[in-house]
Amino acid sequence: MESTMVLTEDEALELLAFLVTAARTQLDEAAEYGPLRLLTAAGRLADFIAGRASPATQQFLSGPLRSLPDAALRSVDPAKYSTELDAVCEAVGEHLVNHFGGSAR
Amino acid sequence: MSNAVLEAIRTRRMVRALADAPVPREQVVAIQDPVTLRLLRMVSPGMFQRPRAVIAICIDGQRARSFGMSPTARGLYVDVGTAAQTMLLAAHSIGLGAGVVTSFSRAAVSVVLNLPAGFSPEMFICLGFPAARQPPAIRPRTPVTWQSLSHWERFP
Repeated sequence: MESTMVLTEDEALELLAFLVTAARTQLDEAAEYGPLRLLTAAGRLADFIAGRASPATQQFLSGPLRSLPDAALRSVDPAKYSTELDAVCEAVGEHLVNHFGGSAR
Repeated sequence: MSNAVLEAIRTRRMVRALADAPVPREQVVAIQDPVTLRLLRMVSPGMFQRPRAVIAICIDGQRARSFGMSPTARGLYVDVGTAAQTMLLAAHSIGLGAGVVTSFSRAAVSVVLNLPAGFSPEMFICLGFPAARQPPAIRPRTPVTWQSLSHWERFP
């Protein structure tokens, strides 16, 4: 399958810097900041690629991923947090199957 | 409430969404170069907002030693917090939104800001005009009030 370039070098560097420095700050911070940082990185990646991705990926990017608040923390409501993350993961799975092809459920 | 200081304390909020409008130079002297601000945000995982200006509060280790203090003495961190709170209230009083950030790589920030040896960046005050739309406040399941955080006299 032909794949489209959706990320510039500047954007990739920004994301790389975020991930590496988040690994360092995480050594001194609350464990629940771990998923928060990963979701922030995912959100920034989504922002970067939204304008260049395929219509189907753009539709996926505007889905459940966007419903998570920027600074959501597990400790505020652990059950709700897990449920919302599961919904995002489910949407990821569905989009992967549609994008790459595979056996849908 | 007629007390201006108490009113400022009561109405100040941590602003996590800032507008694009620049902060006038006459209002604050801080880091305003767009490239530097962009680089700081890249190495600051806790910086959700896109500030138009940043004040970096640093500990000057050599200066601390000259007073006979360890650069990691608790008092210095109290000073950082006290300075930050004063700046937050001052920003609020002139209509600027402000939010603090402590989640950043000290090593990377030191390089980006070309800090002198012995300077340790401890806190950013992110400044700008508050965006019209703010993210929802983070509310703990158990409400925290001043009463729930206060104990009178001795602990039983």
